[in-house]
Amino acid sequence: MAEKHKPAPMVDEVSDFEILEVAVRELAIEKGLFSADDHRRWTEYMNTLGPAPAAHLVAKAWLDPEFKKLAVEDGVKASLEVGIDWINSMPTNFGTPSDYCNLRVLEDTPKLKHVVVCTLCSCYPRPILGQSPEWYRTPNYRRRLVRWPRQVLAEFGLQLPADVEIRVEDSNQKSRFVVLPVRPEGTEGWSEDQLAEIATRDCLIGVALPKPGVTANAKLPVHPAVNPVDHDH
Amino acid sequence: MSKPHYDREHHVKKATGIGDPQCFKGEAGPAKFKVGDKVRVKDLPDIFYNRTQVYTRGAPATVAELVYESPPAEDEAWDNCDNPEWFYSLIFKQTDLWPDYSDTFANDTLETELPERWLEPM
Amino acid sequence: MTNSVNKAPDTGQTLPDLDTSPIELLEKIKREGRAWDELSEQYGVDNPDPPWRLSLESTCDALNGGYWNISALCETKEDDRKPEDEDRKLDALERRQEEDELVNQHYADIPFPERQLLSLAHSMIRHGLIDEDDLAKHMKVVEKRLNMV
Repeated sequence: MAEKHKPAPMVDEVSDFEILEVAVRELAIEKGLFSADDHRRWTEYMNTLGPAPAAHLVAKAWLDPEFKKLAVEDGVKASLEVGIDWINSMPTNFGTPSDYCNLRVLEDTPKLKHVVVCTLCSCYPRPILGQSPEWYRTPNYRRRLVRWPRQVLAEFGLQLPADVEIRVEDSNQKSRFVVLPVRPEGTEGWSEDQLAEIATRDCLIGVALPKPGVTANAKLPVHPAVNPVDHDH
Repeated sequence: MSKPHYDREHHVKKATGIGDPQCFKGEAGPAKFKVGDKVRVKDLPDIFYNRTQVYTRGAPATVAELVYESPPAEDEAWDNCDNPEWFYSLIFKQTDLWPDYSDTFANDTLETELPERWLEPM
Repeated sequence: MTNSVNKAPDTGQTLPDLDTSPIELLEKIKREGRAWDELSEQYGVDNPDPPWRLSLESTCDALNGGYWNISALCETKEDDRKPEDEDRKLDALERRQEEDELVNQHYADIPFPERQLLSLAHSMIRHGLIDEDDLAKHMKVVEKRLNMV
């Protein structure tokens, strides 16, 4: 039971990693690799990012067929309606160097399931979805999803019949992707906020299907690939 | 081989308020391929920076969408933004990409974007 | 140094020779450092990420090319610009490929985001962006400062 007047717990020691992060950053600034100002602007920007805008984009699309149409045709324009400006509000006024400005919203149907990966490096739609989870960045996910999508999805608890087309989206260039899953049953009459709550980050990447009552993402252990896929041909 | 170089000033002037890849719109000229075309990914030499996955080389695909115009990564990395190309979103059948992909799931596909130079008609 | 041609597995491109030998300072941190997983559990803190996580991401992005002080750059004539003004110090794709390789070789047992931090420091040292001895010295300075009561 929480005690009312107990202060919130905090880590009361300084780890070597914390020291390393500060030292690397300060040395980099001292050497002129970037300025303290640059770093501060990036951190301020990073602090604004999270998955809520993408969740609301999906919720809005579920509620309004016209908005859904816009989302699929012009992801950047649709993003404006959830408060995300891929072009102008970025500190650069033309997008960030690793996220660019081309959001594509991938519409699932009962016969088509999308799932997103970036095999090359783990590109992710940060402006609208926040930071990528660690599993998304691992070679394990990146190399296996393109080749064994059904096995990888099964590990996330998602199994689909053979007549559903699973389409892996390999995000290798300037587009960034968010999945628009099929609206689940049992959500009739729900508000945008209620719908956004079940459009979790995992659903927006495509490794989970939205379900009433499920508002959390999977917590998975990160493990090395047992048999790394050989891509040479 | 020295590291890739990025021309910030030119890019800033060109892209501010417009976005990247939007800033290259209209610069690539006519697209070689259209939606529905069958193409094959070329296996060009991998000397420099590129973003064309090894697993796509030589594989057949269908053009799903003409997504934007942009200099390809291999040019951008060397500060060459003079020749933007059309980028295509391509759909591959998984059974064409992986020899042991189960026929039970023959409907499964993979979609990825590639610039025009990497594609040839089938 | 690798003897064989070093190829990026996903794109096939030939990578510059990456010296992936271990770095003493980072090995030491690896051995002795306490990761967030451990610390947050010990102290009962719920936050899944250490407080420095976003700052690390910002460092990675800033090295890939920031766009600040645009007017100052635009005002510098092309002839006056020096190579060191070039602001993409550590390309993101290159850094990520190195991170994959370094984690595979040295940091596989280290949790995230500590593994990303170690890989970044490793890449920066190998690319000659910072010096291992300077880093060790500066860490001592920072440690003292952060531990001042």
